Amino acid sequence: MQNVIVFVEQKAGQTRKVTFELATEARKVADALGGKAHAIVLGAGAPALAEQLQKYPLDAIHVSDDADVDAFLIDPQIDYLEALAKSVGPSLVLMPHTMHGRDVASRIAARLESGVAADVTAFKFEGAKVQCVAPKLGGAAITTCVFKNTEYGIVTVRPNAFAAQAGGGSAQIDQLSKPAGKTYAMKIEALIEEASAEMGLEEAPVIVSGGRGLGGPEPFTTLLRPLADALGGAVGATRAAADAGWVPYSMQIGQTGKTVSPQLYIAAGISGAIQHKVGMRTAGTIIAINKDEGVPIAEFSDLFVVGDAFQVVPELTKLVCAAKSAHA
Amino acid sequence: MKIVVTVKLVPDPNAEKRIDSSTKRLVRSGVETVLNPYDEYALEAALQLKDKLGGETTVSVLSMVPESGKETVRKALAMGADQAFMLSDAAFEGTDVWGTAHALAAAIKKIGFDLVICGSLSDDGASGAVPGAIAEHLGVPGLTNVRHIESVEGSLKVQCETDSGYQVVSGPLPALVSVTMAVGEPRYPSLKGIMGAKKKPITLMPLAELGVSQSFGAAGAKMELLEIAAPPVRGKGQVIKPEDGAQGAKAIFDFLKERKLV
Repeated sequence: MQNVIVFVEQKAGQTRKVTFELATEARKVADALGGKAHAIVLGAGAPALAEQLQKYPLDAIHVSDDADVDAFLIDPQIDYLEALAKSVGPSLVLMPHTMHGRDVASRIAARLESGVAADVTAFKFEGAKVQCVAPKLGGAAITTCVFKNTEYGIVTVRPNAFAAQAGGGSAQIDQLSKPAGKTYAMKIEALIEEASAEMGLEEAPVIVSGGRGLGGPEPFTTLLRPLADALGGAVGATRAAADAGWVPYSMQIGQTGKTVSPQLYIAAGISGAIQHKVGMRTAGTIIAINKDEGVPIAEFSDLFVVGDAFQVVPELTKLVCAAKSAHA
Repeated sequence: MKIVVTVKLVPDPNAEKRIDSSTKRLVRSGVETVLNPYDEYALEAALQLKDKLGGETTVSVLSMVPESGKETVRKALAMGADQAFMLSDAAFEGTDVWGTAHALAAAIKKIGFDLVICGSLSDDGASGAVPGAIAEHLGVPGLTNVRHIESVEGSLKVQCETDSGYQVVSGPLPALVSVTMAVGEPRYPSLKGIMGAKKKPITLMPLAELGVSQSFGAAGAKMELLEIAAPPVRGKGQVIKPEDGAQGAKAIFDFLKERKLV
């Protein structure tokens, strides 16, 4: 495999930062492999997003705003991606390690009879062969894998693992034609947004997270949200908080939720049991606020404040806001 | 309705995993093997359907697992599944996602199905790639991250989680769904269930019975592991005990400034 194809996850022209991280990294990987960097953008809003992607160092951007993509579950996207992969030839196919990205990866890997490297955080090269570095077992091990017996390699990439850098773009936009002879049966009847204001947790640079210690749903909006907003981040939660119905499961971080690697993770009233730890232990800096000094998170926080989150967080929000307005 | 639930056995998720630096392998001593927690939710979703539909509904569990995993698989029968199938063959040792999906799909075809239910992820591999690949090989729609199965009679209607909410999806059976833990807490095996499980059939399916031509095991794998290393150790940092909230906030703020995080 020598070419690179970036599968762009988008809805109505809106995408996430990880798209631009992939568009930037694709160039480096394609250069190392000696091939071209492609991107594919599908669904309503795709043409507008493709224009934004022209700022990035890709060789070609393939687009279709076929209405079937948004009307039916996943299959049309896989058909388009398969057709492109076959026309481009042996390639590494990159997509974000998100819920949808993982789905696309599993389906396209089966179509192309290829391997999947999941949750990749770095690439290494041995001659013109790519090696994928990924944390496994909830961060307890770092693995390095290569593809073999395969013309294509499917890679889901952890958001925030690579830098996004616009510049050097000269890609032409290519209109894809509809894959022939396909019919679709799984209709998307409704799309319900529960956390529309929430930026993708996986790619938030800062996460302020709460657990059982917060005692109810309100502090997530009245206590944590203002601090997250001041720091330009998102609000997360533990499984206990999601199970209690205080927040939607889409905000849950940990073993059965999301795995995140923000630059800064602030844990308020979280004990840091292993189930939560595996979802956030690769954060750049971890700060925990807890009344109980004996909780597990004390053992792996860069700064542990023995105190009441209800007292500390509002004061911290004030300090951050004051510093921001002094700068502005 | 014939429901097949795929289950995997994984090292106990509540145990802290550690890599032996000399062998570069997961330290398994003292770590129990259990049903993948996500798959318990898949089984729960299947059993809820069986409770609701009654009659001819059967729930079969399918696992790619050495024969030594039999007693763990029996727990699924104790929870209420009707029968179990185990893909037990030395040839499967070292099989990757690609091979696992091919083998499970071939076995599911043999067992027969209207609905396949999988867990969304495995606790140890966590690529989440197997359910979608099985759907492809079966040639049926794959609905992933399902948080609620609204109906299965006539046609299928489910709620699929997305990163920011959920979508309502409907279409015909047969199909495959992978479920999240929002489908409901897995039931505990009752004493009656545990006793009854001893009499329920567990069928071994060796590779030769699957009628597949792929090569499995490490030799057939599409991925090769070059290296496995322990991550950098995250040690205990500073601990402070402020007098009040303002002092605590100031300490955090100074720490953030020092690290250029504000």
